[in-house]
Amino acid sequence: MFSTTAENFSKASTMVLRIGTDAHLYDDPDDVSISPLLDSKFDSEKCEALKRLLALIAQGLDVSNYFPQVVKNVASQSLEVKKLVYLYLLHYAERRPNEALLSINIFQRDLGDQNPLVRAWALRTMAGIRLHVISPLVLVAVRKCARDPSVYVRKCAANALPKLHDLRLEENATAIVEIIGILLNDNSPGVVGAAAAAFASVCPNNLPLIGRNYKRLCEILPDVEEWGQIILIGILLRYVIARHGLAKESIMASLGPDIFNSEKSGSESDSSYLEIKKTYEIGIQEPELLAMVSRSYLAGQDKYLSHLDNSDVISSENISSQFTSSKNDENVKILLQCTSPLLWSTNSAVVLAAAGVHWIMSPVEEVSKIVKPLLFLLRSSDASKYVVLCNIQVFAKVMPSLFGPHIEDFFISSSDAYQVKSLKLEILSSIATDASISLIFQEFQDYVRDPDRRFAADTVAAIGLCAKRNPKVATTCVEGLLALTSPKSINSTSGSMDDDAVVLIQAITSIKDIIKQDPTNHEKAIIFLIRNLDAIKVPVARALIVWLVGEYNSLGTVIPKMVPIILKFLARGFPSESIETKHQILNAAVKVILHFKGEDFHTARSILSYVLELAKFDLNYDVRDRARVLRKLLSCYFISNGLEENADNNEIQLLLAEHIFREKIKQSTEMVNNRFYLPGSLSQIVFHAAPGYEPLPEPCSLTESDMVKGLEEPSQTEDSNSDVDSRSLNEEGSYYTEDSVTASTGADNESAAIESGNNNADPLINFSDVGKPQEETNDLSELMSKGALESWLDENDNPGSSQNVAGIDSNASISSARISIGDISTRIKPKVYTLLDPTYGNGLKVVYKYSSEASTISPSLVTVDIFFENCSPDPMSKLSLTNEDSESLDQGSSLEPQKDVPSFVPMEEITILEPGQTIKRVIHVNFHHHLLPLKLILWCNDKNHPVKLRPDIGYFIKPLIMDLDVFSQKESQLPGMFEYTRRCSYTDHLAELANDDKDGSESSTKDSFLIICQSLASKMLSNANLHLVSVNMPVDANLNDASGLCLRFSGEILSSSFPCLISVTLDGKCFEPLNVSVKINCEETVFGLNLLNRIVNFLSEPQLTS
Amino acid sequence: MLQCIFLLSDSGEVMLEKQLTGHRVDRSICAWFWDQSLSQPHSFKVLPVIASPTHYLFQIVREGITFLACTQVEMPPLMGIEFLCRVADVLSDYLGGLNEDVIKDNFVIVYELLDEMIDNGFPLTTEPNILRDMIAPPNIVSKMLSVVTGNTSNVSDTLPGATSSCVPWRTTQLKHANNDVYVNLVEEMDTIINSDGVLVKCEIFGVVEVNSHLSGIPDLTLSFANPSILNDVQFHPCVRFRPWESEKLLSFVPPDGLFKLMSYRVKKLRNTPIYVKPQMSSESGTCRLSVMVGIRNDPGKVVDSVSVQFQLPHCVSSANLTANHGTVNILSDKTCSWSIGRIPKDKAPQMSGTLVLEEGVEELHVKPTFQVGFKIMGAALSGLKINKLDLKNLPTPAHKGFRAQTEAGHYEVRS
Repeated sequence: MFSTTAENFSKASTMVLRIGTDAHLYDDPDDVSISPLLDSKFDSEKCEALKRLLALIAQGLDVSNYFPQVVKNVASQSLEVKKLVYLYLLHYAERRPNEALLSINIFQRDLGDQNPLVRAWALRTMAGIRLHVISPLVLVAVRKCARDPSVYVRKCAANALPKLHDLRLEENATAIVEIIGILLNDNSPGVVGAAAAAFASVCPNNLPLIGRNYKRLCEILPDVEEWGQIILIGILLRYVIARHGLAKESIMASLGPDIFNSEKSGSESDSSYLEIKKTYEIGIQEPELLAMVSRSYLAGQDKYLSHLDNSDVISSENISSQFTSSKNDENVKILLQCTSPLLWSTNSAVVLAAAGVHWIMSPVEEVSKIVKPLLFLLRSSDASKYVVLCNIQVFAKVMPSLFGPHIEDFFISSSDAYQVKSLKLEILSSIATDASISLIFQEFQDYVRDPDRRFAADTVAAIGLCAKRNPKVATTCVEGLLALTSPKSINSTSGSMDDDAVVLIQAITSIKDIIKQDPTNHEKAIIFLIRNLDAIKVPVARALIVWLVGEYNSLGTVIPKMVPIILKFLARGFPSESIETKHQILNAAVKVILHFKGEDFHTARSILSYVLELAKFDLNYDVRDRARVLRKLLSCYFISNGLEENADNNEIQLLLAEHIFREKIKQSTEMVNNRFYLPGSLSQIVFHAAPGYEPLPEPCSLTESDMVKGLEEPSQTEDSNSDVDSRSLNEEGSYYTEDSVTASTGADNESAAIESGNNNADPLINFSDVGKPQEETNDLSELMSKGALESWLDENDNPGSSQNVAGIDSNASISSARISIGDISTRIKPKVYTLLDPTYGNGLKVVYKYSSEASTISPSLVTVDIFFENCSPDPMSKLSLTNEDSESLDQGSSLEPQKDVPSFVPMEEITILEPGQTIKRVIHVNFHHHLLPLKLILWCNDKNHPVKLRPDIGYFIKPLIMDLDVFSQKESQLPGMFEYTRRCSYTDHLAELANDDKDGSESSTKDSFLIICQSLASKMLSNANLHLVSVNMPVDANLNDASGLCLRFSGEILSSSFPCLISVTLDGKCFEPLNVSVKINCEETVFGLNLLNRIVNFLSEPQLTS
Repeated sequence: MLQCIFLLSDSGEVMLEKQLTGHRVDRSICAWFWDQSLSQPHSFKVLPVIASPTHYLFQIVREGITFLACTQVEMPPLMGIEFLCRVADVLSDYLGGLNEDVIKDNFVIVYELLDEMIDNGFPLTTEPNILRDMIAPPNIVSKMLSVVTGNTSNVSDTLPGATSSCVPWRTTQLKHANNDVYVNLVEEMDTIINSDGVLVKCEIFGVVEVNSHLSGIPDLTLSFANPSILNDVQFHPCVRFRPWESEKLLSFVPPDGLFKLMSYRVKKLRNTPIYVKPQMSSESGTCRLSVMVGIRNDPGKVVDSVSVQFQLPHCVSSANLTANHGTVNILSDKTCSWSIGRIPKDKAPQMSGTLVLEEGVEELHVKPTFQVGFKIMGAALSGLKINKLDLKNLPTPAHKGFRAQTEAGHYEVRS
C-alpha cells in the first residue's frame, strides 16, 4: 500500500524525482569544500565527498590531488565508502603509485575478511591498481583467492590474472599460467568462463593447457555464462584444429579434388570424396573464393598471398595439411555437439561464435544448421544486425546455396539503416539463383523507386552485378536499366537533380559493365542510349555514353552508320560540354578514326582535326594537353601505317603510338583483393587485422610430444611455423621454438634468455618468500613494512611520471646525423660532497666524490674518492674511517652480502696530516643496491666524528660500452613497461653560450649545437657513471632550433648487470631554456625509475660553478 | 577486451567515463567521434563498429544516449555490442528510462553498476536479478528515506547467494505470499507487401514472456499443442536443452519477475489480418493519393490501434489529406500519420487527398513506403497454442494465467 501511495506521489511532482538522488552532486560537485568532508568521522559525509569526487571524474576533471585523503578512507568499515574509494583508487592509482601503496595493508586485511564480497573487492582493486612493486603480493593473493570457497571470489581471481599479466613481469608468467590451469579445472561453470577469458588474453597459444581438460570444457560449455562461452568456443576451436586438424567433411576441406586424390587411405576416402564432390557441386559456386577464405582463416596467410596468382601451388601445398573426420573423431564430434545448443542462445555473440565453429568444422551437409539461428539474429538490435550481416555476407559468397531459400530475410525494410540496406543488397545479389532471380528483380524494382536515391543507385549497381553473374538474365536487366535512363524517368528539376544523377550514372555504368561481357547481344542498348544522348544532361552520364560510342564504333551494322553523325553532333557542341565529356569526345574520335576505312575515314579525320583544333584553345589545360598529345601521337601512327608520307622518324614515338593504338598493353588480370578473417572477429568488420588478431593455428601443429612438453613447461608457447620441415621435426618432438609473432610472446622469448642471469642476481627489492602459495597475510604485511621498500619510497620524491610515453624516440634515429663532440673528459667534474665540515671537525675537512673507475676488489662495489684536508694550523694524526657499529670493525664480515646495511672496505690509516696538506684515499663501498646512507665513524686524533656517506644512484651503474646499433637493438627489446620518460627543463647551456659569444666574437664562434651537447653530456657524465653512446641531431635541423638533438647513454647496473639505456632528447630554441625529455629503458623498472628521477633532478638543477 | 566506456548525451557531452583497464583512453576520442558523426550524419551514427585513428569503437544509441566502448585489440565485436545493450537495458530498468537527466542524477548508481558489470574489460555480473541484490535500485521510498535519515547507502553488504548457485539467474530463498505465474505470447508480425500488392514476406516474431512470482526453487515445464511450427528459436539461459531436443518441452527454473523465456519465428505465413491499399497517380505537378484500409481475414478478435504512417517524398511541397475515419497528422519532418483506431464495421476507412509537388517536378517517381500498425489482443496469429504448464517443487499451489497478443512489427506496404 505504501508503495502505491508513493507512486502517486512521484507522479504528482516531477521535482520530487530529483530529491534523494545525487543530482545536486553532479550539477555542483565542488560547491562545498571536499577536503574536510573526506576527513569527517561520519560515513555519510565521507560518502558525499567521494560522490562529489566521482562526479568530477565523470565530468573529466583531474582530482588526483585528493588521493592521500581518499586512500585513508579505504580502511572504512562502511561498504559504500569502500566501494566509492575503490572506484576512485582504480581511476588514479597508476598516477600516484606511492600513495596507492599505503592502501595495500588494508587490502591484505580485507583479503582475509569473512565476507566474500569484501574479499572480492579487495582483490579486484589490488590487482587493478597496477603497481609493479606489489605484483608479487597480488600474485600471492590471486593464488589464495583461486582456492576461495566462494565462486564469486574465484571468478574475480580469474579476472585478476590478465591485470597481473598486463604488467609484463616475466617472473610471474609461469605462476599466472599455472593458476589459469587450476581455474580452468574449477567445478563452477562461472569460474571456468572467467578462466577462459584469462587464458585468451594471457596465453592464447598455450593449447596443451586446454588439452588436459578438453572434454570437460566441452561438456561444461553450455552451463558457462554467455560471455565466457564466447571466448571458450574460440579456444576450443583453436585447440581442435591444432591438435586434430580440419575435418575432411567440412567446407574448409572441400577445396578441390586434388586433396582427396592424393590422400593415401584408399577406398574410404574415395567414397567420401564422391559424396563431397556432389554437395560441392550443389553448394559452392566459387571454389577459388572458398580456397582463399579457408586459407586466410588458417595461419600462414601471408605466404599464401604471395602465391596468389598460382593456385596450383596452393592446392598441392594444401595436401600436406592433415585432416580429421568430424564424423568419426570423438573430439570434433563432442565440440560440435556441445556448441549446437548454443545456436539457440539469446546472446548474438554466442550464436555467431557457435556458428563459426560449425562453419569451419561441421560436415558440409550439416552447415545449414547455422542458417536459421544466424538469420534470427537479424531481429536483435540494429547494431548487432550490421555485424551479423557482415559475417553472413562472407558465408553467402562462399556458399550461396546456404542462404538461397531465405531470400526474403534479406528484403529491405524501410527502417533499415543505409549500411544494412547495402549489405543486404550485396548478399541478395550473391545468393540469387536462376529460380529466385525474378523474385529478387521484382524487389529491386521497388527499391529503385525508394526515396533514398543513394540506396536506389546501389540497387542499380546490384542489378548489374546480378546480370554479370547470371548471363541469362542480362537482357532483362539491361531493359530494366534502360528504362531508368529514359528521359521520362529523369527529373530535370534542380532540387532532386543530384540525387537522381547518381542513379542515372550508376544505371549507365551498370549497362556498360553488362555490355562489356557480351557486346554483340546488346547493340540495341547502345543505340538506345545514343538516341537519348540529347536528353541526358548529367556530364558523367554523357561522358559514359560517348565512351560507349568510341568503344563499340564498329559493332554490328547500325552503329557504324550512326557514328559519323554522332561525331559531327558532338563536335559541334564540343565547346559547351563538360571537361570529362570533352575528354571522352577526343578519345572517341581517335578510336573511330582507327577503325574506319575509306570515305568514312576522311570524314572522321576532318571531324577529329576540328575537335583537336577546338581543344587547342580550350580553357582547361588538361583538355589542351590531351589534344596536343593525341595530335603528336596520331601523326606518328599515321606515318608508321603509311597513311601519310613525311618527316622525321622517331623510334620511341612510333613504339608508343603502336602500343597505345593497337592495344598492345594487356589488361591486368583482375585481382581479388578481398581479405577474409575469422567469422565473428573484429578484423572481419574493419577489414584489416586488428592488433592481437590471430588466424587459426596450423592444423595438427600440436603433437603428442608438444602436449607432454606443454604440461611440463606451461609458459612456453606453440610453434606456428608453417614449413613442412617444421612439421616433420615436430613429429620427432625435437623442434620446439617459441612463436615470436606477437609482442607478448616476443617478450617471453627475451626473458628466457635473461632468466639465468635473473636467478643469481640480487633483486632490488627482495621479497624472499613470495613464491610460497600458502603464505599468511600477516607475514606479507610484515614483509611490506621491512626496510627495503621504504628506503626506496623515501628517495622517490616524485615518481608520478611513471606514465609511459611510448614511442617518443622510436623513430628518432631514422633521419638523424651523428655529431662528434670531441673530448669532454676534462669537463667532467664529479660533484664533490662534504663528509665533514672543518667547523665541526676541528679544522679537518673531508670531502668525497664518486669515482667512475671500477672497483678493483669486486665489480659490485662502488668506488669513492675521499679527500682529507687539514685546514687547522696543527698537524693531525691517525685518521681513519670505520663502520658505525663497533662489532663490524671486524673486516671480514663487513662484505657479507646478507647484510642489508651498506658496508665498505676500510682504507689505509693516514698516520699524519700536515697543515694545509690534502691526502686522497679510495674506499670501496657496497651499498647492497639500496639508497641507505653509509654511516661511518671518522677517527682523528683519537676523537670520533659520526659521518654519513650518502649514496648516489648515478654511480650504482658502470659504463657499458656499445655502439648505436647495439643500443637501438637493446632499446627495442625493452619496450612498454621497461620504458619510462620524464621531462624537465635545462638551462646550463645558456651561460656557456653567453660566454662563447663574448669570447669568440672576433673568431668563428663554435657551433651552438656543439656547446649544448657538450654541456649536457658533461653534466650527465659528471653525475652518473655512464658511457656516451652517440650524439645525434636531426638532418633537417634549423639553426638555433635544438629540437631533436638526441644524446644516448648506456650503463650496466652494478649488482645485476642489467643494461640500462638512457636517451636524452632536446626540444626548443638554442638560446632559450630547453625542454629535455629523458627516457630510460631498463629491465629493473624500480631502479630505472629512481635513476630517471635522479637524472631529471640534476639536469634541472642549475649549474653552480660557472 | 574493452578499455573504456563513455556515456554521451544527445548533444555530444560526455556524461560519464569509466576506465576499465590500465590502458586509459583519453576522452578526446569522444570529441573525435562526435565530430565524425556530425560531419557524416546519416551513415556514421548507425555504424556500430568504427575504426578510429587510435581505437576501435563500439557504439549503440538508446533513447538519445550514446554508449561508446573502446578497445585496441581484437575481440568479438558482438560481445562489445551485446554488453553495451545489456548495460543500456540494466540502466533503463534501474532508472525507469534513459535520458540525460536521469543518468546525471543517478551517476553514482551508474558507476556502481558499471563497476559490478565489468571487470578489467570482461563482463562480470550481468544478470539483472543478481545486480538488484547487490545494488539497490533507486525508488521513491529509498529516496525519501535517504532525505529523512541521511543514510544513502544502496550497496548491499552481502554477496547474493545466486552468484554461487547453479541457477545464477534466480535469487535464492524467495518467498511470495501469493504464488502466481503468467505466460504471455507476444507476437509481432513482419510483413512486406510490394508495389503490385503481392505479399512477399509475412512472418511472426514471437516471444514467450513469463512473469513469475513463485517461492522456493520451482521447476516448470511448458508444453505446446503444436510445437511443430517452432523450428527457429532462441532460449533464455534457464531453459534446459535436452527436453527440448527430445520432446519439444520447455523445462526450466524461472528467474523471478518478468523475463523472456523463448523467442521464436514462424515464417511464410499466408494471410494478414488487414489490408492496406495505397494508390498514387501523379500528373502536372500534383499527385492524387488514396489509401484504403480494411479487415482481410477476421482473426476473431478486435483489431485495435490501427495506424498508417509514411514519409512524404522530398519533392512534395505541401499535402492536403483527409480521412473518412480517424485523424490525419502531418508532422514537420514530412511524416504523415493516420491513426484509425478500431476499424468500423459499416464502412471501410479511407484517406485521400492531393500532394502538391515542388515547382518544376511534373511527376512523382519515388514511392513512399507505408508502415502499418495494429494490435490484436487475445490472439496469436502464428497459431501457436500453449498446451499446459506443469509446476513442480512448490510449497503451495500457484495460480497460472495465459494470455496472447499480436502487434504489427515491420509491417510495410509499398506503393
